[in-house]
Amino acid sequence: MHKEKRKILLSWFVVLLGSGGLIWMSLERWMGEEGEVFPSRVINIICPYSAGGGTDLFARSLARTAEAELDQTIMVQNITGGGGAVGFASGLIAPADGYTVTAVTFELVSLPIQGLVPFEPNDFDLLLRVNQDPGALAVRADTPLDSLEEFVAWARERGGVSIGNSGPGSVWHLAAALMADRLNIPVTFVPFNGSAPAITALVGGHVDAVVVGPGELLPQVEAGLVKILAVMSEERLSFVPDTPTFEELGYDVVFGTWRGLAVPRGVPEAAREKLTFAFREAMESEDFIEMARRGALNLSYADAARFRDDVQTQSADVEQLMERLGLK
Amino acid sequence: MDFSNFTEAFQLLADPMVFLFLICGVLLGVIVGALPGLSATLAVALLIPFTFDLSLMPALAMLIGVYAGAVYGGSVPAILFRTPGTPASAATVFDGYALTQKGESQRALSVAAFFAMVGGLIGTVILILLAPQIANIALRFGPPEYCALALFGLSMIVAVSGESLLKSAGVAIFGLLLATVGMDPITGYPRLLFGSVSLMEGIPFIPALIGLFALAEVFRSIGNTEQIAQRSSGKFAWPMRSDMIRGSWTGIRSGLIGTGVGSTPGSGSDIAAFMAYGIAKQRAKPGDTFGHGDIKGIAAPEAAKTGSISGSMVPLLSLGIPGDAVTAVLIGAFILHGIQPGPLLFEQHGPLAYSILATVLVAHIVVFLVAILGTRFLVRIVACDRKLLLASITILALLGAYALRNNIVDVWVAISFGVLGYILEHQQYPVAPLLLALILGPMAEENFRRSLILSDGSYLVFLTHPISAIILTLSVLSLIFSVIRRQKPRNG
Repeated sequence: MHKEKRKILLSWFVVLLGSGGLIWMSLERWMGEEGEVFPSRVINIICPYSAGGGTDLFARSLARTAEAELDQTIMVQNITGGGGAVGFASGLIAPADGYTVTAVTFELVSLPIQGLVPFEPNDFDLLLRVNQDPGALAVRADTPLDSLEEFVAWARERGGVSIGNSGPGSVWHLAAALMADRLNIPVTFVPFNGSAPAITALVGGHVDAVVVGPGELLPQVEAGLVKILAVMSEERLSFVPDTPTFEELGYDVVFGTWRGLAVPRGVPEAAREKLTFAFREAMESEDFIEMARRGALNLSYADAARFRDDVQTQSADVEQLMERLGLK
Repeated sequence: MDFSNFTEAFQLLADPMVFLFLICGVLLGVIVGALPGLSATLAVALLIPFTFDLSLMPALAMLIGVYAGAVYGGSVPAILFRTPGTPASAATVFDGYALTQKGESQRALSVAAFFAMVGGLIGTVILILLAPQIANIALRFGPPEYCALALFGLSMIVAVSGESLLKSAGVAIFGLLLATVGMDPITGYPRLLFGSVSLMEGIPFIPALIGLFALAEVFRSIGNTEQIAQRSSGKFAWPMRSDMIRGSWTGIRSGLIGTGVGSTPGSGSDIAAFMAYGIAKQRAKPGDTFGHGDIKGIAAPEAAKTGSISGSMVPLLSLGIPGDAVTAVLIGAFILHGIQPGPLLFEQHGPLAYSILATVLVAHIVVFLVAILGTRFLVRIVACDRKLLLASITILALLGAYALRNNIVDVWVAISFGVLGYILEHQQYPVAPLLLALILGPMAEENFRRSLILSDGSYLVFLTHPISAIILTLSVLSLIFSVIRRQKPRNG
C-alpha cells in the first residue's frame, strides 16, 4: 500500500514537472519574440542532395565557416530525392523565420519547367549566389583533336557525335543541347546517372565526348586521360587557364550550374540581411577559399538582386531548350 | 612491382597513430553498417571534415577502416534479426538468419566474419598484383556489357527460387515492374509516381529491403514470441575448423567474383553478393542445405561483398574513377587531402599508394578481429525478451527507413513492403527474385536503352561487343543448366 502511494506520488511529480517544462518552454518562446536577437538558436541548412556530393560539400564548408560569424550552430540536413525536388519543397514549407536556409542549385530553375514540381523559383527569397560552374566540353586524350574547330569539323564529317551527360533534363544535358545548337553539329545525347558514370564512359571509349562540370573532369585531365576543349564561362577558369571559352572562339555558349542559398518568402528583412552578411563573410574566409580551390569549386558571388536577375534570364533560356529537346 | 616501395610503405604504416585511427574507423564503421539506413557512404562523407585536422595516413586509414567495417557491420543485424544493415547484406539473410533460428547465431557471425576476411584478402592481393590490368578490362564495360551483366544476374533467379519456378518467375516479373517506378532514365518522363515526387528516383531500395525482411518478420512473429535459445561458448568464438573447410572453395570463388564485379564502375557490392550467392546455389551438391543455414550460403555473399571493396579500389586507384558510391566519396577525400588518384599515383607517390593498399589489407584483418571479439556480446542481444526485441527492431527499422533521406514517404514504403513480404512468405513465394529484380531491373533497362541509342537502334550491338556476347552466352548456359538441375531430383 505504501509502495503504491509512492508510485502514484512519483507519477504526479513527473506529470507536474513535464507540464511545468512545457509552459516554461512556450513562455521562453513567447517572451523571446520581442527583444530577440537573430539568431538565438540552431540554424538548419537543407541540402537537397546526398552527403558527400558537391552541393553537400559546399553547404558543409560554408556552414562550418559561417558558424563563427553568426555565433550559432549551423546544421546541414540532407533531404534528398526527386533530383532535388524533395529538398526544395521541404525548404519552402519550413517556417519563414530565417532558421531554415535551403541550398539552392540550377535544378530550382529546371524542375518547374519540366513540370515535375508544383513550385517555382519565385517562391524563394534568394540570399546570395556562391558558386557558378560552367559546362566543359571534353574528349578522350587520345582523340586526334586539339581545338573546338577541329571538333566541329570532325563531328560534321562523321555525321554526328555521341555526347554523354549527367541525366535527362540535367544541366549538362541542356548545356550539350545549347552547344549543339550554336555549333550547328548533329549530336546523339546519351544520358547517364550522374556525371561520374558519363566521364567513365568517355574514358572507356563508349561515348565520343561529354559535357560536364570542369571540376568533375579535373582528376582525369591531370591523369592525362581526357582533355577539355572549351568551357562555357564568360572568362577562362583559374584551374585550366589554357582552355579557351566558347565565347572567345566566337560561339555564344555561356551556360552552367550554380549554387546559392535561399529562404522561403516572408522571412523578416533583418534576419535575411544578417544571414546574407554572415555567409558572404564565410565565403571570403581563407578556410572556405582553400576548400573551394581543392574541390575545384568556381566561386562567383552575386547579391540577391543580381542572383534573381540571372535566374530569371536562365529560366527563359532553359524553357526554350527544354521545348526543343521535347522535355517539357 | 618495386619492393623498395613496399618497405617504405610499411614504414609509413608503422606509425601507431595509423593503427589507432584504423581501429576507430573500423569500430565506427561496424556500428554505422549495423544500423539500417545509415550507409558506408554516409559514414565516410560525414567523417571527411573531421579528417581535415589529421595528417594524411591516419586520415586515410580511418576512412578505409570505416568502409571495411560498415560492409561487415551490415551482416550483423542481417544474421541476428533478419534486418540487413546494408543492401549488400541482404543475401546473407537467407542462411545467416536460418542459423540464428536454430540457435547458432554465434557460429553464423564468426563464419561471416571469417569469410568476409577471406574475400577481402583475396581481393586486396589481386588489387596489389593486377590492378592496372583489371582496370583496363573494367573500362571496356560500356552500356551493352552492363546490360548483359544485369541479364546474367537475372538468370540467377532460377537458382535462387524456391519450390515452384512459376512462383519465382511471377515474383521476379512483379519486381521488374516495380523497378520501372520513377523517372525514365533516358527521357526523364515521370513514370507511375502517383503524384509523389519522393518516388522520382525509383522505389527507395533500403526502405523496401527493411520492409521485406525486418518488418515482415515482425508481422510474422505477432502472436508467436517464443524465445530462441542461443548457443554461446561464452568466450571468443573462433569459427570452427570444419566450417572454414566446408566453405573454403565457395569463399575463394566468391571473393574472386566479388573483386571482378566490384571493379566495374557500374556495379557494386550488392550485385556481387547476390551473384555469388546465386552461383554457389547453382553449384550446390546434394547434401547442401541452402536457405536452411548452410555455411556456404554465408560464405558466398560475405566473401563477395568484401572482395568487391577491393574491386572498387581498382578503378579508384589506377584510373581515378569511382568504383561505387563509397569510393566516389573517397575520391573527394583523397583530393581534399591533396592526393590525386589515377595512373600517376603509383608513379609519383609509390610508397603512399602501396601503403594505401597495405591499409586495405590490414583493415580486413582488423574487421575480423573486432567481429570475433564482438560476437559474444552481440549474441546476448538475441537473448533479450523477444517481445521487447521485436518492438525495438520495429522502431529501428522505421527510423532507418526515415533517416536515409529524412523523408516520411520512405517509412510508408517500408511498411508497404513489410505487408508485401509477409503475404509473399505466407503464400510461400520466394523473396529473393524480387530483390534481384529490384537491384538489376534499373541497371538492365538503362543500359539496354543507352546501348540502343549508341547503336542507332540495332540490337546486334549486344553480340558484336565481345564481352557482352560472352556474358550473354554464359547467362543462357546458366539458365539451361539451372533448369536441368531442377528437373533431375524429380526424375531420380
